[in-house]
Amino acid sequence: MRQLHFQPIAGKALDILDTILHTPEVASCKEVFGDVRMVCEELVVNVVDYAYPDRTDGYLDVEIEKDEHAIAIRLKDGGVAFNPLEVETPDITKPMEERQIGGLGIFIMLKKMDAVNYERTDNENVLTIKKWL
Amino acid sequence: MNNMESQFELTQEGTILTINLGEELATANATALMEEINNYRETGVEKVVFDATKLSYIASSGIRAIYYAKQKVAGNPAIEFINCAQNIRDVFEMVGIQDQITFVNK
Repeated sequence: MRQLHFQPIAGKALDILDTILHTPEVASCKEVFGDVRMVCEELVVNVVDYAYPDRTDGYLDVEIEKDEHAIAIRLKDGGVAFNPLEVETPDITKPMEERQIGGLGIFIMLKKMDAVNYERTDNENVLTIKKWL
Repeated sequence: MNNMESQFELTQEGTILTINLGEELATANATALMEEINNYRETGVEKVVFDATKLSYIASSGIRAIYYAKQKVAGNPAIEFINCAQNIRDVFEMVGIQDQITFVNK
């Protein structure tokens, strides 16, 4: 299992994302790389932008496991509790002009991934995504 | 992502605002694009044309930029995409906007 630790993370979403995407485990996911990239971008940006509203020393730990069947990525942060599985699903039947500008990232994660699990453990948000290969 | 991939260019001719996209529309450049779109809010634009000939990746922030153009440019402009790759169209279908966009191949 590959383990990555990022701290501090303020303003570093793109650098963190780039590091994750260049790990051999993720970079070798040829057929699902686009989906994994899209979802990792949403999750990393969410943590960097919203997990630590009053702190500049926040961290993000990322664990990546890959075998012949699947890739699993676990993100842990010590920020404010946030369960993405409780976020209201956007109404995608509305015309664009009536939609909220934001709110699509979690929806895309749930559509793109084969499994998503959230736990609040030891004051950490622990979010695990899995994609079958 | 390098600068070439994040480039975009906006041009208005009459009532048509054309946005030439680079290879990606995502976190790194979507906010900058929305700021640029702000300059065209009250300029009589009736249609926003995204030239997606080079576009190969879009994130939710990129879709936000499309919503933004639709909502913030006065008059509820039509949205058109030129040469949109299938993987991008698949994302549009997933979020339910494929029927609200005119797709043109040139």
